[in-house]
Formats: sequence, structure tokens, C-alpha cells
Amino acid sequence: MLLLQVIVGGLLLGAIYALFSSGLTLIWGMMNFINFAHGEFVMLGMYVALLTVTYLGGGPVLFSLSAAVTLYGIGIIIYLTLIRHVMKGPMLAQILSTFGLALLLRYAAFWIFSANVVSLPQTTLSGIVDVGGILMPMSQLVAGVVAIVLTVGLHLLLTRTNIGSRLLAVAEDRNAAMLMGIRPDRMQALAWGLAAGSAGIAGALMAISYPFSPSVGETFGLTAFVAVTLGGFGSVPGALYAGLIIGLIQALSAYWLGAIYKDIVVYAMFAALLWLRPQGLMGKAS
Amino acid sequence: MSRNVKLGILGLAAILLLYPLLFSGAFALNVGSAVLLAAISASAWNIVGGYAGQISVGHGMFFGVGAYLPLLIYQITGLPPLAGVPVGIALSIILAIIIGLPAFRLRGHYFSMATIAVAELIRIFTGTWEYVGAAIGLQGPAVGRGWWDLTFRDETPYYYIFLGVLAVVLYVTYELQRSRFGSYLRAIKSDERAASSLGVSVRMTKLKALVLSAIFTSIAGSLYSIKTGFVDPESGFGILVSVQMVIIAALGGAGSLFGPLVGAIILVSLQTATNTWFGGGGSGLTYILYGGIIVLIARYEPGGLYEYWQRISPRLWRSRRAA
Amino acid sequence: MLLEAKNVSRQFGAFFAVRDASLSIAQGEIVGLIGPNGAGKSTFFNCLAGDMPPSAGQVIFDGQDVTFAPPETHALAGIGRTFQLPATFEDMTVLENVMVGAYLRHPHRNAARDRAMEVLEITELKDLAMQRARTLGTPGRKRLEIARVLATSPRLMFLDEALAGLTPSEVQRAIGLVRRIHGMGITLVIVEHIMEVIMALTERVIVFNQGRVIAQGKPADVVKDTQVIEAYLGSGRRKRRA
Repeated sequence: MLLLQVIVGGLLLGAIYALFSSGLTLIWGMMNFINFAHGEFVMLGMYVALLTVTYLGGGPVLFSLSAAVTLYGIGIIIYLTLIRHVMKGPMLAQILSTFGLALLLRYAAFWIFSANVVSLPQTTLSGIVDVGGILMPMSQLVAGVVAIVLTVGLHLLLTRTNIGSRLLAVAEDRNAAMLMGIRPDRMQALAWGLAAGSAGIAGALMAISYPFSPSVGETFGLTAFVAVTLGGFGSVPGALYAGLIIGLIQALSAYWLGAIYKDIVVYAMFAALLWLRPQGLMGKAS
Repeated sequence: MSRNVKLGILGLAAILLLYPLLFSGAFALNVGSAVLLAAISASAWNIVGGYAGQISVGHGMFFGVGAYLPLLIYQITGLPPLAGVPVGIALSIILAIIIGLPAFRLRGHYFSMATIAVAELIRIFTGTWEYVGAAIGLQGPAVGRGWWDLTFRDETPYYYIFLGVLAVVLYVTYELQRSRFGSYLRAIKSDERAASSLGVSVRMTKLKALVLSAIFTSIAGSLYSIKTGFVDPESGFGILVSVQMVIIAALGGAGSLFGPLVGAIILVSLQTATNTWFGGGGSGLTYILYGGIIVLIARYEPGGLYEYWQRISPRLWRSRRAA
Repeated sequence: MLLEAKNVSRQFGAFFAVRDASLSIAQGEIVGLIGPNGAGKSTFFNCLAGDMPPSAGQVIFDGQDVTFAPPETHALAGIGRTFQLPATFEDMTVLENVMVGAYLRHPHRNAARDRAMEVLEITELKDLAMQRARTLGTPGRKRLEIARVLATSPRLMFLDEALAGLTPSEVQRAIGLVRRIHGMGITLVIVEHIMEVIMALTERVIVFNQGRVIAQGKPADVVKDTQVIEAYLGSGRRKRRA
């Protein structure tokens, strides 16, 4: 029974990984660009949630929305002021831009919030639910389910709506999209907004149950890379499966090997994947 | 090389040689050797990152291996730490080959991701491995048993050792730049497909560059741990170790001979200044500054100061001649 | 035969970009490879030059099987190629660009430099030697690509639309250069859209359509072939109007 509980817990956390990873994969699919600051977006989402609760009060709905909206805005601003310009530049500029951004955000957060581990105050989502003998904290259950719903929602947005097809048109062929009257710049800004927004809300959802500090972004950033590599670059459903798998593997390795091994296992998986199948497990060979 | 450039190099060499005589305080010497060490590792990174254009963000793995081995050999065998330097180099070469063979199938962002992942894997693993001191790290001989332990109370010997190593690294880079190998690296950076159509064996050439770069980075790590007599996972393999090499090279000019040295002079001075002004809390600010500088370079001058100089210097000469 | 391709095919998924294409080229020939856009010329070219392994078939160069060999082996064997979209090394000078090619047979700097200067002389680029490639216009880049390949001392050169995008007077100059290269004993395969160029330069033309060789022969005969007129000139006319 304990094992089953570990598995469910892992999957619920994995659902949140899936949510922020789908943002990273969206950017990659749109513009062949890896955002090294993606984990920092998740971290910022957590602190936006904290600030919202502290200064505005309100429950999980309010602070999750606040994190999503704030990060959506940050994503668009970063695209317009930085990414748009370095896209045309050399590879070094592309890699350095978001790498520098990650450092800037991470250490600015250290500067402002200190390195202390903090957590959100108890919310209405406290308590334990018993699902067929498996005991789950209410907060994790709700967060996991919401994360899955949002990830599927993002996928539907991309595949079933007009705005989604415009996004994909830009990803497919920038010039052809321009001839069709789509402005690639706007679509890419939107993609950055969506990516950062999904990272922000994922951060807020995680902050409900887990304590955090400014350094968490680094781990989440790498986790997202693993998910994107595993799921195939640019595939949202791939990121969903991969997020769940990573959450599960992490939970199991923590359970069997000890907590310190959970990150090693993820990084080792990543290294192995890049070696064996750089195009991703579910991605198409190019 | 033009006469002006030659004069500039001679001037720079003279300043570096005479620096300990001009500024004899321990603080100034400490800053001086920190600049040299940063310049060594950034110049080493420059071979694969600057010339070949393969942006490694995990070079800390070679620095860390180089830093750990001398102290590990000392702790296990009691031999002088110096004996661990070649072992560190050998391990770094092996590591470079293991990374390079598969990772050089990966291009651009993928390669950067792979290098970060491996460096982080090694850092976390080292932090849990008791044999190499886990999170606490390793220490060297507290008191030197002879000159061969390289534990000097005075900073001056370290300064000159670092200067000598830097001279070697720069000389090798200079020779490389003028050779077939250097020409091939720049061709690969520009267009791999075109390079291979002209007979360049792309993967092999990149691998050679990575191995050469790893050797010098490993030596930089050894110099660091022998001088400080201490290393832990963060100071050896930490992501900031890797980042520092990239930012210094990029600031001065990735793919230029003296770019990393110029970058090191500026960045280490800046870092020292923020640490002095803001005390112990300054280190956080240093990294904010790092991040800011990286973003600004990427946005406005990806070629670094070298490219900037190339652009403005003809104009300067012209205006001087006109005056 | 200097180069022989036997039943070369290249598939992308279920789509055949090249199907069962065969070709032989004798030492000293100039052969034109023509066909409408999307006919598979470039893919076929890439298969022959080692840029892309064929899915089936065999490519033999001077008795050596190079079907699956990497591009650098082709270069070493004596096969050179230019790219449709110029792939010059932008941050390197014209001289440095050509030296990359020259290093193939001259590992030492001074020898490579001498060889590169020689080639710059032939290709009339000597005056631009110290300029960065990025400062050149289209004609300069196309010429630089040819120079770079020439510096590898090839026996066979593939020119992929090396004259596209040039003004009529530049085309005349380029035709002169191609003739000089041929005069040096180098066998040439030319992919070209401009019929005038093909007519002026080549002794034999191979017509490609929908991944297959549909005709070959003397240029003057080939343009009379009804199949060719339908496949190539038909779409060529449409293209000209667009």
C-alpha cells in the first residue's frame, strides 16, 4: 500500500512537471530555442504566489491566477526586449541570453527573498483524502489534477483553436505564415507568454504543498529539459507523458535508494537520453 | 600582426611581469593571481567554445576533476599534490572523449544542455561520495613539507606560476590559430556542412579541440586547489565555475586570442570591487552582476569587447590621422 | 568512367525524392543536370557528393565505392561541390576561406597560403583576399565557393546553381571561369536553371523529373524531346511569368 502511495504521489508531482515542461517544449518547437531560464520562471511563480498571499490574502485560486498572469507578462516582456533580438544573432548570443537571465533572476531572488526555505501559509486545501485506501494530501491531489487539466488544455489550445493553428503555422514555416498574414513576432511573443505563464502557475501549484527557496529553479529547469528530451522536442503530449514518468521515477528512486538519489537519477537519465536518442523518445527522427 | 598590436602585447606582458613589484600588498597579489587563474580557464574554454563555437556550459567538470585529483592523491598516498596533476589531466581527457564522441552529434543548444547535465551529475554525485569527501570536500597539506608541496606563505610564487601557465596556454592558442587545425575549427563554427564538403573531419576536429581545452581547464583546476589547499563540490564542479569561464571569454571576445585575458582583468576586478564594497553579502550581488553582464553582451555585443574594438579602432585611427 | 551512380534512390518516408537514378560521367566531360523545381536534382546531387546517404543504389568514383562515405572522404577522393545557397565562412576573410580548402592537400600554413593565392588569382578574387566573406555580394560569394572547392584540387566538381542570381554580364564572367576550370582538366557536373548557360557550356545534358532521369543527350537534341518540353520547359515558362 505504501508503494502505491509513493507511485500516486510521484505521478501527482509529475503532472506539475508536465505542466511547466510543456511551456519549454512549446518554445523549442516554435523557434528551436532552449530557454535556460525556464526553471527560474517556475521559481518566480512560487514567489509571486507567496507575495500574493502575504499582501492580498485570498486562496489558491487567486494566487495561482496571479502567478500565471504575472509570469505571462514577464514572458512577453522578455521576448520583446531580449529574445527577439538575440534570435538573429550567433549561437553564443542565443545561449548566453537566457543563461544570463537565469543567473540574474536566481540571484536577484536570493537578494530580495534571502536563501531561506519558505512555504505558503496553510490554505483551505489542507487535510488528507482517502482514495480507496491510498492517503493523499488534498493539496497535492488538487494541484496534480489541475496541472493535468491545464496541460491538456494547452494541447487543445494548440491543436483545436484558431490561435493555436496560427502558432503552429509560424513554427512550421515562418515565411509562409507571414504570407498568410500572420505576424510571427506576435505569435512568438504569445508563445513566450504561454510558456512563462504555465511555468508560473505550475510554481504556484507546487508551492501549495512544497517548501521552496530561490535555488529550486535550477533543478526544475533541468527537470524540464529531461521531460522535453524524453517527450520529443516540441511535443506537448510528449511532455505530459515524460513529466509523469519523471515524477514516478523520482518518487520510486527516493523510496528505494534514498532521497539524495532522486536528482542523480533524473540527471543520469538525461545524460543517457541525450546520448542514445537526442531526438527524444517519442519525437520523430529528423 | 601589425606593429601596434605587437607593442600592445609587449606592454601587456611587461605589466603582468612587473605587477608584483608595483603592487606588493597581499591583497593586490591575490587579485592578480585570481585574474591569471580566471584567464587560464577562460582561455582553455575559448579553444572549444570560442574557436570551434561549441558552447560548453559544463566546463566545470574538467576544472573540478583537475582540482580534486591533486588533493585526492595527497590524501590517499601522501604524495605531493603536484603528483595528482597528470592524473587529473588523464581523467579529463577520458571524460572529454566520453562526452565528445556522442555529444558532438548534438548541435547548438543540445550540446550546451548535454554539458550542463553531465557537469551537474558529477557535482551531485561527488557531493554524495564519501571517498572524495562528499559535501565537505578535500584538503591539501596544511604545512608544506618542502617546496614541492607548493604551499607558499607568500602570494608571489603562485602569481608567477600562473603567469607561466597562462603564457603556455596563450602560446598554444596562438599557434593553433595560425594552423590548419585552427582554420578548421573556425570553419566548423561557421558552417559544418560546408567544412566537411571541403574535407574537414568535423567530429574528429571538434573532439580534438575539446580534449585540448579539457587538458588546460584541468590544469587550471589543479592550480586552484593546490593554491587554496581545499576543494568541495561547489568550488570544483559548481555551475558558477562553468559560467565564469563562458562569461569571461564572451566579455573579452570569444574566439580571439587575448579576449579571455581582457575579460578576466575586467570581471575579476569588478567582482573584487563588489565584494569589498558590500562585504560578505556581496557574493550574491556579484552573480546578479554576472547575469546582467551576460544578458547585455548577448543582446548588444555578442562578439565581446574584441569585436567592439575591431569595429571602432579603424575609426579611431582615421580621426587621429585627420587631426 | 570517373563517376558512376547505379540505381540510386532516396526516400523520405513514403516519398521518393530520387528513384532508380543512374548516371555515368567520363573524365573531362561537362555534364548539365536540369529539371524543374522539386524534381529531385538537389537530393540526387547530395547523394552523389556524400552529403546524404542514398537509401539504395551505389556510387562509384574512380573505382572506389563512396556510396556511404562521409563528405570529407569525397573531398579527399577528389570530389568537390558548391552549395545552392552560398555557405561561405562569414567571419573569415576570403583568403582564409580558400585556405580551408587548400589545407586538404597542403597541411602546412605557407603551402596552403600559396595554393590559396594561386586559386584567388584564377578566380579573380585576389583584390578581395583580406576582406571578410560577409562583405561580399552574391556574385562574390558564388565565386568564393568555387575558389574554395578549387583549392582542394578536385578531379570532379559539382556546381549547384553556381550562376543563379547573377546579372547577364556576371553570368558571362562566370561562364568564362567555368571554362577555365574545365581547361584545367577538371570534370564538371552543373545543375542550372538558365538554359542559355547549359547550352553554352555543356556537351551532354541529363534531364531529371519526379526523381527520375527522363532523358539525356546533346543539349540541342534534348530540348527537342517532347517529354522534356512538357516536364521542364512547361514549368520553366510558368516560373518565368511568376
